[in-house]
Amino acid sequence: MTKLLRLAGLAIVLVVSLLFAVFVGDQGPWYFAWVIGTVMIILISGAGAIMLDAQSGLSADGEI
Amino acid sequence: MEFINPDVVDLSRFQFALTALYHFMFVPLTLGLTFMLAAMETVYVVTGRQIYKDMAQFWGKLFGINFAIGVATGITMEFEFGTNWSMYSHFFGDMFGTPLAIEGLMAFFMESTFVGLMFFGWDRLSKQAHLAITYLVALGSNLSALWILIANAGMNMPEGAHFDPETMRMQFESFVNLVFNPDAQAKFVHTSVAGYVSAAMFVMGISAFYLLRGQHRQFAARSFRMAALFGIISTVAVITLGDVLGRLDYEKQPTKIAAIEGLWHTSNPPFEPWIVAALPDDARQENHYEIGVPLVLTPLITHTFDQPITGMHELEEAAGPRIRSGIDAVAALRRYGVTHSSTDLAQFTAHEQDMGYGLLATRHAPGQDVTAIPADQIDDVVRATQPDILPNVFVTFWSFRLMVFLSLWFFALFAISAYLSLKRRLERSRLLLKLCMWSIPLPILATEFGWITAEAGRQPWTVFGWLPTFLSASSHGVSYMVFSLIGFVLLYSVFIAAELYLMFKFARLGPEHDSMEPHAPATPQASAFDMRPMAS
Repeated sequence: MTKLLRLAGLAIVLVVSLLFAVFVGDQGPWYFAWVIGTVMIILISGAGAIMLDAQSGLSADGEI
Repeated sequence: MEFINPDVVDLSRFQFALTALYHFMFVPLTLGLTFMLAAMETVYVVTGRQIYKDMAQFWGKLFGINFAIGVATGITMEFEFGTNWSMYSHFFGDMFGTPLAIEGLMAFFMESTFVGLMFFGWDRLSKQAHLAITYLVALGSNLSALWILIANAGMNMPEGAHFDPETMRMQFESFVNLVFNPDAQAKFVHTSVAGYVSAAMFVMGISAFYLLRGQHRQFAARSFRMAALFGIISTVAVITLGDVLGRLDYEKQPTKIAAIEGLWHTSNPPFEPWIVAALPDDARQENHYEIGVPLVLTPLITHTFDQPITGMHELEEAAGPRIRSGIDAVAALRRYGVTHSSTDLAQFTAHEQDMGYGLLATRHAPGQDVTAIPADQIDDVVRATQPDILPNVFVTFWSFRLMVFLSLWFFALFAISAYLSLKRRLERSRLLLKLCMWSIPLPILATEFGWITAEAGRQPWTVFGWLPTFLSASSHGVSYMVFSLIGFVLLYSVFIAAELYLMFKFARLGPEHDSMEPHAPATPQASAFDMRPMAS
């Protein structure tokens, strides 16, 4: 039941996101770009930090 | 009787500029740090590594200092519209008040409610719930900026309203046009992402300070890398949106773009140079000591190689018929206020789009009444009014250039920093680390120059093309304005001093919890690469 509810919740989020993308992408392309761009910036900076963890794990000299 | 006191108008302008610029020393950090905190906390939730929680909590503390002091400086500005700009508020309040009210009720309440949960909810909420709260704080602070910038865009490119001769004010007609105003869209993204740049430089600069001192190295390395990547993408986005705004100004605010470029005469495409530096002389309407790069201006502004950009002399000439038509509009409106006859209304409607230019002539009309200009003096009044359509070219030209030069510096600094961080060669580059540290205030300075460009370039209007600034102010006495101005300067200077003191104090102290360096401080050699297992 919990899984079903979670799936339903995710489906609603998906539909709202698609409607948002269609409407705002058409009416306010820069607003849409801000949403996508901010998510991208967060993900890339987060990925950079995780990569540093991986680099640190492989290296022994400790240089930063 | 003359009702415009130029001293009061200038003091009102100076006071608003001062309070706005003070306030905007705090805003960019709030806009950007919230999303940086969200990024750090996201990594914490995904990886379970304690160090990212330490990072979110430490940078969150510095955000909290900035937020608490910054909020206080913003509230006074909303009151200034009523106290110092009552004519503007009457004329444009219907349009301007809507986004301001939504900002208070929706974004500011959202941000302020969740910020408490963000600070005090670490031990009371699940990791995922706290992360959601952090995102809501980030969204709230940026939505707050969105509504303010929608209101500001209405002043620069009034859309979604029309002038009503019955009420003598702009009436709100389309919420969609207000929200999706192209200027609001581009300005919001430009400003919001400029906040990301400020926050990235702040985090990168303080992390560089720790790396230079060999303290909290793992903490600083991760903060530095996240900030460098955050900053480089954000800087590219800011420059892109700056270009979009320039293009919009070219289409909708030709006087602003001509002043920004110091373009006194219509450009000669495609060879017209982009003026890198010059001394614009507003009085003589020419530039001194110009240094330009040929073939750059036309594609930069028009995105073509053959479209000319109208110069300020030509814009002045083109304004002549509009001023004359505007004088007719004001006269017809005055008559309509008394007679309410359809003939007067029809005459007004025929000249309505030029009404603002008629109001602009007020200063040069006998008794400051454009309806009282004798027929044989109209040409003189029009000629005297024509130069008034231009903003202060020296201020607009240089504030724009300083903003652009600084943004190019940020691009270079973030790019090199990100590269060296990815290559793990940061600690060898002590000069770069010092440059990062000393560059902390520069993005905030750049955003201040950006606001000066946007708002000084909008002059002589509060509502572009509709309401001149000198007709927008309240009728206070000079002594009242001087007294309140001194009060604001003293109070806000105390706020700035408190912010700087607390920021320096807590930044020097460093993170309270550093899971990878519990016995800091240490020398670079002693603490080099402490890779004990990280707590989850």
